[in-house]
Amino acid sequence: MFIFPQGLYVDVRLEESETTEIRFKQRTLQGQKVRRIKGALIRVFDGQRWYYSSTTDLENLQAQIDSLAQMAAPNPGISEHPLVREFEVNRETLLRYQQKSVGDVPLEEKKALLEKILRKITDPAVVNHTSYYVDNRTVKSFYSSLGADLTFDRQICGMRFALDIVFGEKRDQMVVSKAATTFDELRGFKEFFLEEMAKDVAYVRDAEPVVPGEYQVLLSPEATGVFTHESFGHKSESDFMVGDETMKAEWALGKRIGRDLLTIIDDSSETGSGYTPFDDEGTRGRKTEIISAGILTGRLHSTATAVALGEEPTGNARAVSFEFEPIVRMTTTYIDRGDRPLKDILAEMEEGIFVDTIKHGSGMSTFTLAPARAYKIENGKITKPLRISVITGNVFTTLQEVDALSQEFRLGSFVGGGCGKMEQYPLPVGFGGPYTRVRKLQVQ
Amino acid sequence: MKQEIITIRTKETAARIQASEVAAVRVKDITKKGVRVYRDGLIGVAGTVGDTPEDVLLEQAAQNLQAGIKYPYPLTQNLRDHRCLNEAPMSSQELLEQAESVLNTLRKDYPDFSFSESIASTEQIVQMRNSEGLDLEYRDAHFALMLMLKEKATANLFDGAVFCLTRSFDQEKFWSFNRPFLEAYRNKVELPEGDVLPVFMWDHDVLLYFLARQLHGERFAKGSSLFSGKLGEQLFSEKVTIDVNRDPALRPMTFFDTEGVVLPGNRLPVIENGRLAAVLTDKRTAETYGLAHTGAASGDYDDPPTIDGPLGSLLAFRADSQNIAGVLQGRPAILALLCSGGDFTADGSFATPVQVSFLFDGERIVGKLPEFAVRSHITKMLGEDYIGTFEDTNLYFGELVRQVQGYYMTIVR
Repeated sequence: MFIFPQGLYVDVRLEESETTEIRFKQRTLQGQKVRRIKGALIRVFDGQRWYYSSTTDLENLQAQIDSLAQMAAPNPGISEHPLVREFEVNRETLLRYQQKSVGDVPLEEKKALLEKILRKITDPAVVNHTSYYVDNRTVKSFYSSLGADLTFDRQICGMRFALDIVFGEKRDQMVVSKAATTFDELRGFKEFFLEEMAKDVAYVRDAEPVVPGEYQVLLSPEATGVFTHESFGHKSESDFMVGDETMKAEWALGKRIGRDLLTIIDDSSETGSGYTPFDDEGTRGRKTEIISAGILTGRLHSTATAVALGEEPTGNARAVSFEFEPIVRMTTTYIDRGDRPLKDILAEMEEGIFVDTIKHGSGMSTFTLAPARAYKIENGKITKPLRISVITGNVFTTLQEVDALSQEFRLGSFVGGGCGKMEQYPLPVGFGGPYTRVRKLQVQ
Repeated sequence: MKQEIITIRTKETAARIQASEVAAVRVKDITKKGVRVYRDGLIGVAGTVGDTPEDVLLEQAAQNLQAGIKYPYPLTQNLRDHRCLNEAPMSSQELLEQAESVLNTLRKDYPDFSFSESIASTEQIVQMRNSEGLDLEYRDAHFALMLMLKEKATANLFDGAVFCLTRSFDQEKFWSFNRPFLEAYRNKVELPEGDVLPVFMWDHDVLLYFLARQLHGERFAKGSSLFSGKLGEQLFSEKVTIDVNRDPALRPMTFFDTEGVVLPGNRLPVIENGRLAAVLTDKRTAETYGLAHTGAASGDYDDPPTIDGPLGSLLAFRADSQNIAGVLQGRPAILALLCSGGDFTADGSFATPVQVSFLFDGERIVGKLPEFAVRSHITKMLGEDYIGTFEDTNLYFGELVRQVQGYYMTIVR
């Protein structure tokens, strides 16, 4: 298919995506489009430096390869380079969604599903609402000068409702979003959306400002997912560690990070937003236990970071699109389920805060969660809704504060937003987990 | 059938930096094209990334008319305005030379730090034309140095940043600010005494996005904005003036909105001397709710125009103050460099962690402070606790990052 220049490692990632977006303002259609994009990212490596080209000119990919090769310095020993030797060479076609493609569902059906739900938004407190149906199926092909030859797909479809809710002087915009991997599955979410909207209306009506301070916090599965992603997930992305002796010492495998109850997993085979059967440099996805029973046992790798740290690639080299090169990213990351019923964990809490849904989070040395819906916990019961700007904790110490995990467990997918890492945003990721109790977090 | 075409071409060369070395070079040349057709009060859209012939897109847009999306508003017409903001974009070769030169100095003089992320040169051409005589073109190019700084002795993901956003990179100017700035990273100091301290921020995006949500014309009209019903009222300090500002000289963005509207003088005040003067509207919102049209249409290249977009990027404070040191009169202040993850609640309460900040005397960055958090409220930040919006300070983050804004804030240690 391509003529790969001698003395260089080359790979080509082709992406063909089809996205449908339907947007209603209240009951009026304001947008409906089907966007089809074809593009490619070419990588050339000469043993010293990488050269990338992002292009939509698919007729001239060979010329682009040759042009990048001109920038590089051919290296007769390239095939013996430790990085090149470590690249997986997979040959497979895995089109999981070809027979259930959202592209085959008529637009009118998609619109009808959205309208069916938005017609139920009748509460007078919802003074305005914007509703979206979004789906995407992307087929990726990957070829390398080592002989890799892959074709695989991923798919997501979902709905998102942004509600403007007003009760006198109390007002807020609340968002409900949920996604599935097939249209048939999405049809089953109607009750979920309506129940969440009802909770949002009641929340805005009754929420009071929180008294800032340090609290015991119970996180819902959704909030646990964001907590896991921000408090530790980014720390497990090993590109931060390459060439940094302090980081290597601080995050040495075998170190105790949390209590025995804590296991954190990144699993790219999990169906949903984070599904990544092969990463964007052709490595097969897998399940990586990052923390096992409180001990650091793994981290997330591209091939380059795995070689640099003397570990195995994990299939976590991902790019948001053909416009970017793959970097180390999470897929579906979660705390494994616990062994206690939620009701028992809650009953032990005299005073605390329950975080139900999340607007956004961030993960530097201080991680943050900005709750959308949060409630007070009093005498073992979830009581009054609270307005909270931000919850913060320290990435080095907070996982030690996780002291209870529920049997109840949920993983979720959504549309609208995603994970951001420097210039690459939004990357679809999956997250979730059990109900998680953290002994102390700063709440403002 | 009326037609409108939006074309966006982006060319970029980026040096990807890892451990203070150029690890990779990325080149990008991508064209996105959106086509709109208008007939009988309806709009049809189509778009592509790459090279789809225009007649194919027009046919797709015509088919999209069947969706029945209403757009009974007059198109912007008979306006030709071509602007080039940078006649001499940096070449790929020069970009790589500049990157190597900066990194050489960083490796040699700052071996206790490691730098990563990117140094890039980006060119953009945005054209919007229609069958009614609209012909707009925006050409620009900028240089962006964005390096995350990691102290080799810490186990943090990163400990700070060095950055510069400019149309013309002047290394002398860059180093004259960044040498003392990098020295300040080495000088660890304690937070000054006091529960309330003056805090200066160069990045007030979270504030602008919160204000944009409140200034959103539809939310204003529907009663879901904090500002609903307050047109003409004094909301903030008389010093505060906030514009819809599309002047590309200030920041790399088009001088027109997605309906092809060009504001006279490139700007229009929505908060004027603290008073609510107008809200953000596109043609649809202005007509539907009887509001002044403020040229705030948003949306992607292949969307119908909409008021639902990232409107915060349209807003800009007017500089209202000078001489930070004069205002401080010897009192210590904080310069917040990175505040990630904070937010406003719906009623305007604000809190954020301050991950990277410096002790600051108004002219000189003295030393690096430990992490802490700040708390305030929108009415206080832009009211009694507002210090001012400053330009022409001794700080240099590039010609396209000129403002620093100060407020007295509650410190959470």
